[in-house]
Amino acid sequence: MDLIHNLKEVFEIDAKIKNDFQIEVEAKKELVSSILLYLKNQHGFIHLDHMSCVDWIEDEVFELVYIVWNPNTKKTVLLHTKIDRNKPEMENIDTIWDQANTYEREFREMYGIEFPGLVAEREFILEGWTEMPPMRRDFDTKKYAEETYATRPGRENAEDVREKIIKRTGEEIPDFAKKYSRD
Amino acid sequence: MSNKINTIGIPSEEEIKKAQIDFSPRCTAAGRVNDKETQKMVEYILNFARKHSLFVLAYGTGCGAIEIPATMTSRYDAERFGIRGAATPRQADVLLITGYLSTKTLKRVIRVYEQMQDPKYVIAFGSCTINGGMYFDSYNTIKALDRYLPVDVYIAGCMPRPESVIKGFIKLQELIQNGNAGNGECYRDNLDWYRTNQQKIIKNWDFPDEYNW
Ligand code: SF4
Repeated sequence: MDLIHNLKEVFEIDAKIKNDFQIEVEAKKELVSSILLYLKNQHGFIHLDHMSCVDWIEDEVFELVYIVWNPNTKKTVLLHTKIDRNKPEMENIDTIWDQANTYEREFREMYGIEFPGLVAEREFILEGWTEMPPMRRDFDTKKYAEETYATRPGRENAEDVREKIIKRTGEEIPDFAKKYSRD
Repeated sequence: MSNKINTIGIPSEEEIKKAQIDFSPRCTAAGRVNDKETQKMVEYILNFARKHSLFVLAYGTGCGAIEIPATMTSRYDAERFGIRGAATPRQADVLLITGYLSTKTLKRVIRVYEQMQDPKYVIAFGSCTINGGMYFDSYNTIKALDRYLPVDVYIAGCMPRPESVIKGFIKLQELIQNGNAGNGECYRDNLDWYRTNQQKIIKNWDFPDEYNW
């Protein structure tokens, strides 16, 4: 295919055909913005579908995925890149697509990835958040929730409690529900 | 028995009372005696009128707001019980909390509740408001609403269907008629307790210091 050949020629990267509509590319983080610009201007991938981030805590990397779409050929390119988890920094691409600004703000808040030159309020979805960015996998959300929010004591087993409720409230089990009785 | 509450099965009545006292010592309206004999006649008539004209604030959070159109429209037609919408907090009697509340939303909800005029009632929908529901381990949603706002009626379910919603409203009407609903005054009296709980989780607190709404 033309695109795959050109990518090899210009950037020396190997693109894989995933299926009829998707092409997968893996690149170094320095190349990402040039590849995206190249795809947009030369190959008609004018639409940024989505950006997402995966936390590979075992490999100490964040994986960023850029998904761009060509409305004429209906093809999608998935561009993967890996950045260091301990010093997460990535190039700002909101000069190529304005909507990237919103995604990058979210990454900054939820994963703590810095985008030098990104012009946006630091506070986005969370308000007054002082802990570690909550989408990172080493953030223990259950522990945090238990410490922060009051919990109500609850049942600890799966006993059929309808008899007891009936006795207490004087209600009756309706006929249709009787067949679900455990005994 | 140890003083740990309900470890096995359903708690007994005493245990529930104890848990309620431990957990939510304020604003449990139940217990006020206000039946026809002891109540003043004016109160009785007022309560009768109030119970048949419940103006519900058109506000929804979480998944449950989707049940409201179904409850209000022709299939279930909640208006036959006198339940209808109101546009602003100052015109409304009932505040519906229709699902999980993030701390960000909670701040707005408290503000809305405080703007409502007495008598005001709160109905909380779904397991999320009762014990966190499927958001029990979320870093950003509260798990027990009655710590932060006085709640009159809880409706169980995830999400409760319009039938249960209407049943909840009828329960509220019952409480109103008996004079057991409406915790605005109690909320004001125990403001310190509520404020402590609220401020613990709302980090960027910028409410006015005094009760001045
Ligand atoms: S109880 Fe269920 S339906 Fe209701 S807000 Fe929670 S998750 Fe959504």
